Amino acid sequence: MIIDVHTHPIFYKDICEDSEQLKFRKEQFGIYKQSPYSIESVKIEMDYMNVDKSVLLPEDLTTQSGGCIVTNEEIAKLVSLEPDRFIGFASVDPYRKDAVDVLDYAFKELGLKGLKLHPSKQRFYPYDKLLKPIYEKCLEYDKPIMFHAGMTWQPDAPAKYSHPLHFEEVAMAYPGLRMCLAHFGWPWIHETVMLLLKYPNVYTDTSLLHMDNAKDFYEQVFTRNMGPLWIERNLKYQVMFGTNSPRFRAKRLLPALKGLNFRPSTLENILSGNAERFIGGSEQKW
Amino acid sequence: MVNTKCIVLQTRSEFQMIKITEDIRQFVAGSGIKNGLAAVITAHTTTGIMVNEGLECVETDIEETLERLIPKDAPYAHAHFLPSYGATGSNSPSHLKSMLSGNSCLFVVQDGVMVTGDAQDVYFVEFDGPKSRKVYIQVMGE
Repeated sequence: MIIDVHTHPIFYKDICEDSEQLKFRKEQFGIYKQSPYSIESVKIEMDYMNVDKSVLLPEDLTTQSGGCIVTNEEIAKLVSLEPDRFIGFASVDPYRKDAVDVLDYAFKELGLKGLKLHPSKQRFYPYDKLLKPIYEKCLEYDKPIMFHAGMTWQPDAPAKYSHPLHFEEVAMAYPGLRMCLAHFGWPWIHETVMLLLKYPNVYTDTSLLHMDNAKDFYEQVFTRNMGPLWIERNLKYQVMFGTNSPRFRAKRLLPALKGLNFRPSTLENILSGNAERFIGGSEQKW
Repeated sequence: MVNTKCIVLQTRSEFQMIKITEDIRQFVAGSGIKNGLAAVITAHTTTGIMVNEGLECVETDIEETLERLIPKDAPYAHAHFLPSYGATGSNSPSHLKSMLSGNSCLFVVQDGVMVTGDAQDVYFVEFDGPKSRKVYIQVMGE
């Protein structure tokens, strides 16, 4: 079983009827030279890499940019088309006056399985008291949060908001709240590792390919910037496979990940076991 | 007169050779053009159009030779984030195979028929699949 915990369905044809909306998405996400493709094409690509399920992430930018990159309703629609292949997350702009109601509706009525927040693009610090009711709503429904962490390629999105250290007080205050600091918080990978070591409710994902090809970049990050056995010995229950598709693809990242020569049990945790715990809320491993 | 058609192909693996000879032949026959040229052109930079003998063993040798000539792990320059794309390009082998393959081919149209040698087949070749791809066929003549 392989679960990709980090995908953006920006170009899924079933939600690309409106060309103005597609233009907004591309500009806000910062992705170009790609066109809409069918869900059939998405499934063929998943099947080719043996990816069983993908987490689909929306992004609510109502107060910052006047719209959503993908809406919660669009995510729910895509999940309804392929319920066995897609896991839908919600998003909410914390500055919306109706933020808690929007999130409640997304969990209760749309059946979405978690929350995506992007501190840099949505311009908030994770420890801001503005977020308190949102975190409490996630706890009420036992839903995890996928936080963007570290640098982002999205335009108009300062990295300072997504520095991993800004998440520590949240991890401390809400030990029952499962949170993923995506992209290993790159370039602040040591800060991310520190949080993973100390807080069992903190997870991360492998959706990073900022330089080089995947093999070279993963070897650099996971065997030289980090000790080659750090994940195996210390983080094997908190690292999840994610791609950040369509920016980076499973076709590149999966072979690079497998090339790091983890124990089979560790690889299995990274590819699916940790995601199942993160999303489903089963018992913590440590 | 000029007639154009776009074929959409869904490829299913990183490398795939798909025979499109009959698609071209049928379009030429229905184009109403008796004498001229038929062009076959891919719309992509990591695919190719090849003309070769339609045998499995030839296909195998083409694939293996391209793999030998263009290894996956060489220190290619095209392995970095591309701001104009919003994604990391690390598919240089696919581009280089496309360069060797070429992106098009031409056939003579005579008496309303696409003229080929007995052994010739036309392939659309995927070097960076799986993906949805487009190939244009254009028949020009009178």
